[in-house]
Amino acid sequence: MEQIALTINDRQLSASSGMTILEVAKENSIDIPALCYRQELSPIGACRICVVEVERSETLVGSCHTPIAQGMVIHTHSKKVLQVRKTMVELLLASHCGNCFMCDKANICELRSIATDLEVGLPRFQVKKRYYPVEDASPFIVRDLTKCILCRRCVSACNEIKKEKVFGIAYRGFDSKVVVDFDQPIDKDVCRDCDVCISFCPTGALSKHGEIGEEKKGEPLIISG
Amino acid sequence: MAQQRIVLRNCGVIDPMQISTYLDRDGFKALKKALAGVTQEQIIDEIKLSGLRGRGGAGFPCGLKWELAGKAQVDEKYVICNADEGEIGTFKDRYILERDPFTLIEAMAIAGYAIGAKRGYIYLRAEYHCLLDLLKNAIGQAKEGGFLDQFDIDIREGAGAYICGEESALMDSIEGKRGEVRYRPPFPPSRGLWGKPTIINNVETLMNIPQIIFNGGHWFSQLGTEQSKGTKVFSVSGDVKKPGVYELVLGSRLRELVEGLALAEKVKMVQVGGATGRIIPYEMIDMPLAFESILGAGAIIVFNETRDIIDIVYRVMEFLAEECCGKCTPCREGTEVMVEILERFSRGGGLETDISLLEEVASAMMLSSLCGLGQAAPIPVVNSLQYFRSVYENRIRQN
Amino acid sequence: MNKINGEIYMQNKEQKELLVRLGEAQNKFGYLSEKVMIELAESLDMSISDVYGVATFYSFFSIRPQGRNIIRICKSVPCFLKNSQVIIETVEKEIGIKPGETTPNGKFSFHLTNCIGVCDKAPAMMINSEVYIDLTPNKISQILKAHK
Ligand SMILES: Cc1cc2nc3c(=O)[nH]c(=O)nc-3n(C[C@H](O)[C@H](O)[C@H](O)COP(=O)(O)O)c2cc1C
Ligand code: SF4
Ligand code: SF4
Ligand code: FES
Ligand code: FES
Repeated sequence: MEQIALTINDRQLSASSGMTILEVAKENSIDIPALCYRQELSPIGACRICVVEVERSETLVGSCHTPIAQGMVIHTHSKKVLQVRKTMVELLLASHCGNCFMCDKANICELRSIATDLEVGLPRFQVKKRYYPVEDASPFIVRDLTKCILCRRCVSACNEIKKEKVFGIAYRGFDSKVVVDFDQPIDKDVCRDCDVCISFCPTGALSKHGEIGEEKKGEPLIISG
Repeated sequence: MAQQRIVLRNCGVIDPMQISTYLDRDGFKALKKALAGVTQEQIIDEIKLSGLRGRGGAGFPCGLKWELAGKAQVDEKYVICNADEGEIGTFKDRYILERDPFTLIEAMAIAGYAIGAKRGYIYLRAEYHCLLDLLKNAIGQAKEGGFLDQFDIDIREGAGAYICGEESALMDSIEGKRGEVRYRPPFPPSRGLWGKPTIINNVETLMNIPQIIFNGGHWFSQLGTEQSKGTKVFSVSGDVKKPGVYELVLGSRLRELVEGLALAEKVKMVQVGGATGRIIPYEMIDMPLAFESILGAGAIIVFNETRDIIDIVYRVMEFLAEECCGKCTPCREGTEVMVEILERFSRGGGLETDISLLEEVASAMMLSSLCGLGQAAPIPVVNSLQYFRSVYENRIRQN
Repeated sequence: MNKINGEIYMQNKEQKELLVRLGEAQNKFGYLSEKVMIELAESLDMSISDVYGVATFYSFFSIRPQGRNIIRICKSVPCFLKNSQVIIETVEKEIGIKPGETTPNGKFSFHLTNCIGVCDKAPAMMINSEVYIDLTPNKISQILKAHK
């Protein structure tokens, strides 16, 4: 395997070709936030939270899907990068339902945790919220798409890990939605005893029927702003 | 600088239903020349020498694209002609297809030979369905004439989605999927349609190819400016007396086109390049039209003094929000936020914080969106804030 | 790195027929019924949600029944500059419905659309796949009368 020399945050590093920026960063304990990427899945590239600055590139690049190249000079936490990530999280929160107090997943929610890290407060943008009825007809899975951030992990996880195709993406633009069949509430036989998509969902959009409070473990998170 | 017909040389001259009229104008001679003894590398070198750059908006060097695809050691490769022309204010590709489908077919066959592809697709937007029969007839006649013995051309129709003009969304659409954008790298010349090396070119880009092969790359490189060779076909619309299609040598002035040829009066501003194009106030109308300065896909929308900048920018943003594919966060959420704010301004409102919010979202979208739509969507907003900021400020004050 | 851009899902080459087949069904029945989408999903080895996803992405496909004739008036900027608003209002008045609706007799559906590529002859509209240019309120009633 060819070795590639690159610089991340002023550190000279070496890694094997074919790796992505995010993988190399991780290997070197540099933490880049990611809302759609998961090691077990092929990169999705949708959330854009993982963007980093690569010198001589006009735009920022998605670190979860961009392979490293010889001599790359990368900044993962420059002012520019942090500002963009912050705006993006704020955009996600603006159309999100916003009631973290009532959410079973509040303390394991990746969106909330990234928001805290980036010190994002209450969103200043006013947009319509995406309100959908909670889907709790299935005994195995509860879908509350009002909390969905369209990261598409559930689609990929079902596809790539379970080799099923329960979910699809429908509609376009702001109206895009993760759907089952003809946009019906989830009630699939194949979804028995399989928590794969639930375990991948970064927010409270997918969960199990659980005992109240079961998910509310861990350190309390403080959202400033 | 002047008008010169290279791309449009046959338009209005030949009968688009009769290949014989095309043959009378040296039709398919470039293809014959290419197939008879010229190597694939020589063709690509000739295109590189010509300095031809993509006419679909991004201006990527055409020869370089072909070279990358040509080098790939794979049996299955594709040539795609991008006839999705969804950009607001663009109609030059329709004009060309209607009048001279044969040059395009010849160009695609040359491209196929040059990169080693046996199959090509024309991706035609649904709105141009009425051109389908004309194109099929032209392909049929070219086949009968024996010009497509080594190269097959299929037409794929879109189904109403501007984003399918974006090259990766276009390929997904041909594959029968939602027209969503792919991340790059890998770029199409290494992994494109069905993961195979693919070149994808705009109609107008391809229209130049036969002439370049016929007359040589050097001939072409003599026209235009340092970084913009050849001519460009412009679609002029809006507040002008003579809207329509004009072909000018690159480097010509915007004023020449807008006032000289299209006979516009009392111009307030011009949007160059379609929905995501820059807005040029009248004071800057002497700008040259070239990749170095301003060009895009050559859409020229002219606005006179009666027009309200915010109204225009709002409508443009509404279009982009409707046509955004929805895959990436900054564009999907950002266009919606911008529509919300601009709508408020267009109704005569506007909040103290709105301008800085617009600028913040604009910057995030431009830096982090997955494709050119989201990256360029804020340009009209940013330009209007640059040149017409007082209009926004007045609305806020009046509130 | 794992598979790029979901090349994992690229194996199904049959799927390339989907857009063509959806287009045919749209023309034949005027919309894409669940029955049609289920059949397509089966014959192209796709999931129903994926077929539904494609059907709802493109604006020329419709999952609800449409009128026999579909009117699409261009609302983009160049047509707007040439008073497309008047054309829209004229059509609304003539057939008595708003954009997005279908007449009760099933004769017309009416939508606003983005640039249809004839901005030099604005304002413009399409009825089915026919393009009408240089529109004036007077022309509208004639054009509409010609459609059954
Ligand atoms: C949102 C978007 C829409 C586009 N629409 C078109 C189009 O309608 N026609 C076109 O030729 N290129 C379009 N492009 C550019 C293509 O992605 C691609 O760059 C082009 O087809 C390459 O051909 P060229 O090098 O010959 O210009 C679009 C790009 C974006 C980002
Ligand atoms: S349901 Fe969860 S995993 Fe699926 S797209 Fe929404 S946020 Fe992502
Ligand atoms: S920028 Fe917009 S159109 Fe492009 S990939 Fe992102 S959401 Fe889709
Ligand atoms: S983690 Fe890279 S785009 Fe979402
Ligand atoms: S804007 Fe109406 S046809 Fe182009």
